[in-house]
Amino acid sequence: MKKRTLLAVVVSIFSVTVALGSVALAASAPSDPFTKVSGELYAKAKQEGALTVYSVWDVEHIVAILGAFSKRYPGIKTNYWQGRNPEIVTRVMTEFQAGRDSVDAILSDNAPPVIRAAGAIMAYETVQKASLILHDPTMPVVSLQIQALVYNTKKLKPADLPKSWEDVANPKYKGNVALDDPMRAGPLSTQLAALKGLWKDDARWTRFVKGLKALGVPVHKSTSAMMRLVIAGEYALAMPALLHDVVNEMGKGTPVNLVKTASPIVFARYAGIYAKAAHPNAAKLLAEWLISTEGQATLDSIGREASRKGFQSKTSIGHAYPAGTQPIPVHDKLFLEDPKKWLDTNVKPLWEG
Amino acid sequence: MLFRSFTTGRLGTIVAFNVQNYIKVFTDPEILPMINNSILYAAGSAALGTGVGAMLAWIVARTNTPGRVLVELMPLYPILMPPIMKNIAWILLLAPKSGILNGFLRENFGIQQLVFNAFTLPAMVWVFGLACVPLGYLFLLPVFLSFDPSLEESAYISGSKPMRTMLRITFPLAFPAFLSAFVLNFLRGLRSFETPVLQGSPGGINVFVAKVYDSMSVEYNPGIATAYSTVLIILSVLALLFYVRATRFSERYATITGKGYRVKVIDIGKWKYATFLAVFAYFLVGIAIPFVVLIVVSLIPYYDYETFMMFPANIDLSNYHRVLNHPSFVSGLYNSLFLSVTIALVTVLAGIIMAFTIYRTKVYGSKVFEFIGTMPLAFPPLVLSLGLVIAVIGTPLYNTLWALGLGLFVAYFPYALRNASGAIVNIHKELDEAAWVHGARWRHVFFQVTLPLLKPTVTGALFYIFIEAIRNIDVAVLLVAPGNEYGPVTLFEYFRVGQWAEAAAGGVIYLIILILAVSIAKFVFKIKFSL
Repeated sequence: MKKRTLLAVVVSIFSVTVALGSVALAASAPSDPFTKVSGELYAKAKQEGALTVYSVWDVEHIVAILGAFSKRYPGIKTNYWQGRNPEIVTRVMTEFQAGRDSVDAILSDNAPPVIRAAGAIMAYETVQKASLILHDPTMPVVSLQIQALVYNTKKLKPADLPKSWEDVANPKYKGNVALDDPMRAGPLSTQLAALKGLWKDDARWTRFVKGLKALGVPVHKSTSAMMRLVIAGEYALAMPALLHDVVNEMGKGTPVNLVKTASPIVFARYAGIYAKAAHPNAAKLLAEWLISTEGQATLDSIGREASRKGFQSKTSIGHAYPAGTQPIPVHDKLFLEDPKKWLDTNVKPLWEG
Repeated sequence: MLFRSFTTGRLGTIVAFNVQNYIKVFTDPEILPMINNSILYAAGSAALGTGVGAMLAWIVARTNTPGRVLVELMPLYPILMPPIMKNIAWILLLAPKSGILNGFLRENFGIQQLVFNAFTLPAMVWVFGLACVPLGYLFLLPVFLSFDPSLEESAYISGSKPMRTMLRITFPLAFPAFLSAFVLNFLRGLRSFETPVLQGSPGGINVFVAKVYDSMSVEYNPGIATAYSTVLIILSVLALLFYVRATRFSERYATITGKGYRVKVIDIGKWKYATFLAVFAYFLVGIAIPFVVLIVVSLIPYYDYETFMMFPANIDLSNYHRVLNHPSFVSGLYNSLFLSVTIALVTVLAGIIMAFTIYRTKVYGSKVFEFIGTMPLAFPPLVLSLGLVIAVIGTPLYNTLWALGLGLFVAYFPYALRNASGAIVNIHKELDEAAWVHGARWRHVFFQVTLPLLKPTVTGALFYIFIEAIRNIDVAVLLVAPGNEYGPVTLFEYFRVGQWAEAAAGGVIYLIILILAVSIAKFVFKIKFSL
């Protein structure tokens, strides 16, 4: 009997130990999709051994991102080339047609959808889609372009501020506001596409565009130069500015601030995987890592906007705007893939007519 | 690119081969007002820049203006300042509400009226005209330095005064070189983009090249962009035809003949003080004032009039810290130094050989090269860059430093050719003919007669192309291999993304390096920059 009891105790202890061990093993197993996919991709990416990125972002930012990525995933040699969106599209498409495989991932906002429309992007859906503010099933959204309405605090009192984007078209702001050129597929064009989609009211949208036109104010082809002139006091309002620029400037003590009642316009910044990429797994790994909390923290450290829901950063909507502020996304497929056609159809008749 | 202009479709996808792009271009209702603005802007800037450059060259080479060392150096340093730095400095100076000059008049003299406006056509001409002065100066200086004085002495003997002689004899003889520089500056103006974007758009002044850029950046359609560039090519051909016709009797303009002579310095009497002031004034507006503005902007937290005037109480070195820690500052500078020295040497030599072939040999069809060699100037940088990529993408050169070298060669060859053409026209054929008569072959004539006489021209062109190539980004951008930074990317990237304070800091560092290099070259190694 004693022997049987002893055996039962031993078996019980063994069973409990095995059960506890199983729990412990289960706890250390991949609990989120990123951990699982990154392990698989890293093994393949190490075999590929290299990664080339084309990006519109500042060289300082690209170097910081690739540096952090290389530290996290040793054995993948990274390289980059930096250009503006038209230059990226031109280079990628020329290489695509010539059958070159110089690039693996394209980090940018406007360029990847255009390149995708030409068939030069490999469809890849991130496993972290549930965590994203904006999701695209063919290109991972790694960051956001967030447009803000900005004013010079020395030039406008809070009481005199417009309450919304639509308010800017009020004739009382004539002489105070500078507009991005709405016909150049820049930020104001994006905003018009977003508001048209949001309002679903053509009469209201037409009134807004005509109101902006009626202001007869300077139109800029460089948003960044326009922002400089707002800071300098040449204009009181920038229509629009980019949130990360504004946060950066406010950090330096520059006399600018956000009109917090004008909901931010959000546009995706993608990591597009090149269709003929020589190192596709390394490119996918970069995209997944950028969306992970670690990657988003790296983006935050260089002042770039996070694309992850609930990720608190200096440039997140939750941080810069009052609670409950709803961002306005751009969903218009034609605008994303052929902005010229969209502008010619929708804006040109009102702006140049 | 010519092939592309006959294709329709976006993103280079060829849908059809036809003339649809050209029909679209030549029926575009916006085209005429834009061309009108472009011609006014380009011709005004070229006239201002080449005129001032010629005047400075004459003062330096031919007059007894006091302060010799200063007078020689003052026109030289503004060459080092990239045009975009001048753009930004002058916008800050001339902006209507926030500009330094209007602010100064308002604060100190109570003048509320906006006297200056950076966003007008005259202001655009002023700023780009200043950027055109170096080319005029460097093209004209060798001509004035190698002038046969007997031509002017004949005028003096006939009772002509120095100023009248200058206007009736000296300047007309320098006409080919002047026209050469004018045509180049005019073409630069036609395709220039930064000044129209930064100063023209806010003032509602749209120029033609914006159409080409919109075709690339909004439509992503190289075919239509190239078709639009055709208009620039036509204007370039017209400008060159004008040049060729105006200088068709090239012997008339020969200032270097077989007779022995020494260049004579003219005593211009009391005018010498006025000429000193003229050189000093150019030095002020060409570099000193914009440079001081940029130094202050680089050292303050942000620019507005009040903050600017508080300097130096609000000094801040953070912009310099950021620029010096930029990851590609040193590597970019190293690559660009190597390549721009090589390209300057190769391009200038090739330009002289081409000009020699056109003007000194009877090779059939050589005049055509006058046009072909200048054509790259008619293409906006992005279109030219794309054409070069298409040319090399199937070769082992692609994604190497040599592809970039080839691109820079094509981009700067027109400058070398026009520079050498203007100078060769000024050398009388009798010098060559003497060598031919004695049985010399073309290579002897070229290397032992023509090249030594072109020495001042060569140094000027080398210096100019080196300075231009080292800061090139627009042409180089598509040809740079991943991982190989080119040029002081740091500061031009800051300019491109509108971070003016960091750009100013980078620009100040860049200028200090170049000013030191030029000063060391001049005073320590006794290198003469056409002087």
